[in-house]
Amino acid sequence: MTAPAGEAWHRLSPRMLLVHPVHEVLRQIPLLIGSVVLGSATGNPMWTLFGLALIVGYGVARWFTTTYRIDSQEVRLRTGVVQRKVLSVPRNRIRSVSTDARLLHRLLGLTVLRVSTGQQARGDAAFALDAVEAAQVPRLRAILLADSLAPAVHEASAPGRELARWRPSWLRYSPLSFTGLAMILAAVGLVYQAGVGAALQNSRPAKSGLDAAERFGVFASVVVAAVAVIVASVVLSVLRSLVTYGNLELRRDADVLHLEHGLLRVREHTFDMRRLRGGTLRQPLLVRLFGGARLDAVMTGVGGAREASLLLPPCPLATAEAVLSELIARPDAVTGPLRAHGPVATRRRWTRALALPAVLLIAMVARYPLTPVWLWPALAVLTVCCAFLAFDRSRALGHRVDAQWLVARAGSMDRRRDCIAAAGIIGWTVRQTLLQRRAGVATLTAATAAGVKGYRVIDVPADLAWSIAATASPWVADNDWARTT
Amino acid sequence: MNLVDPAHRPSRKAPLVWAIGGAIPWLILAAGQVVWFATDSRLLWVHFLAAAVTVLGIVVFVVVVPLWRYRVHRWDIDAKAVYTRTGWLVQERRIAPISRVQTVDTERGPLDQLFGLANVTVTTASSAGAVRIVALDADVADRVVAQLTDIAAIGAEDAT
Repeated sequence: MTAPAGEAWHRLSPRMLLVHPVHEVLRQIPLLIGSVVLGSATGNPMWTLFGLALIVGYGVARWFTTTYRIDSQEVRLRTGVVQRKVLSVPRNRIRSVSTDARLLHRLLGLTVLRVSTGQQARGDAAFALDAVEAAQVPRLRAILLADSLAPAVHEASAPGRELARWRPSWLRYSPLSFTGLAMILAAVGLVYQAGVGAALQNSRPAKSGLDAAERFGVFASVVVAAVAVIVASVVLSVLRSLVTYGNLELRRDADVLHLEHGLLRVREHTFDMRRLRGGTLRQPLLVRLFGGARLDAVMTGVGGAREASLLLPPCPLATAEAVLSELIARPDAVTGPLRAHGPVATRRRWTRALALPAVLLIAMVARYPLTPVWLWPALAVLTVCCAFLAFDRSRALGHRVDAQWLVARAGSMDRRRDCIAAAGIIGWTVRQTLLQRRAGVATLTAATAAGVKGYRVIDVPADLAWSIAATASPWVADNDWARTT
Repeated sequence: MNLVDPAHRPSRKAPLVWAIGGAIPWLILAAGQVVWFATDSRLLWVHFLAAAVTVLGIVVFVVVVPLWRYRVHRWDIDAKAVYTRTGWLVQERRIAPISRVQTVDTERGPLDQLFGLANVTVTTASSAGAVRIVALDADVADRVVAQLTDIAAIGAEDAT
């Protein structure tokens, strides 16, 4: 492979001379405020200008001190204005390349390029070129992935097949997530931390608000406030979903999977299909009620949880299933019926879910004269919810196994169907608590190097556990301890 | 299909070492209670309750748990796989193919060194698949490591 990037040290795009100072100013706002305060206190605006110049100068210096180099063995990145740092990544360890362009970057035609080796690189240790010109990205990506993806890159010139494309109708799953509520809580927390809360308490709008609340009555005000929060949270959730996943496109070029999404901040991931060890269909309760699902990739060298492995955000179940079937070429593993785990597993779901209502009931009966009347209907509602949870959880439990694929499904609030390639399984654990031993069930864990590393099959009959393992991994049956009974 | 239990027990000294290891935090707690009683002996029933909890803890974690663990713990290696059984209340049987082994580590804590024990950890590419064989006699541990590195031909391939 010739290296068009050469063996010389390269600088990032010169346009970063504009971006770095802006980012530094934003990051050093406390310092900036300090210099403004100092400037106005001493009556000498030179202090303010001096602080600003210092920050901008630091931002400019970052560009001059950051260089990268791609040679035949490894890629290296030198950074640091005061403390020099060299980060090197062997090229044959590169597992995926992702790009990310925030608003300011996009306006200037820049893109951040991240290289992932699958190690748990966090914070400073992550290899990121922040930023290069967007036009250079395809070339750099080809060079970076050349060693680990040699055959695929040559075919990459032909546009691949589109597996899925974002549709506005996908937004119908987003009002039901808690992201909007989380954003509101975070904003409220931030505002209070900044000390606005205390100032607000005595202000006129707050007082008139309280007066209004007294006029309407407490109950009505609480209802109004709750409705307002819910509406705001729905709007925020939908907006966030639109901005993050709008324009999503999942494309497959031979052995490479491209994922691109985002309206304002465009993110792009490239996955090596040969490292795909399966996929997880996730159906949180509220998404499942509306027939939706999300899809995560199970891949070596890509973190299992969160954004890194996301292939599809909440979308119609049929779409997610079709894409996963396409990727693993086994439709029966994705949609086929599962083998249920039997009455013991079902009983354990019910005892667990009903334990809390039972304890509450005993406590309330024991203190009968002191129990407020409204607690009884509340307990009834809780019991119904718990019973539904138990029913749903026991219905979800199931597995399906053959020589190529292990499929396990579990959960209610966060139902997941894990499809794992048997070839990727490199260890088995059969785990039994005291109660599981008495009930004759066991939890089987398949260890893999991909995704979240361990995939569990919950509460299978104990005498089935090793058979499941041996079906997927013949080496489990081929040793000194295996007995056919 | 079923797997019979692995053949080998840990070292005979294992229960003793586990008992000492379990006793240390409880003895520190007991010493703290003695000091507390010496400085402030009001509320006798609180002292009695605390002492009862401590005695119960010592009985469970110094006597019951080490013996229970010794009954459960087993390990074995054949030409193709490493197989262990561990735990007491929660018991685990774990098997990993030697062809996928990435590293074999030996680790000896201060108590292990005092009694000539060693722990062997066999890691694979999955963090959920590491197999630990604990409380082996040091010479047995050395043999295990030699045997494993011999079969595994570690570093031959990617092992994921």
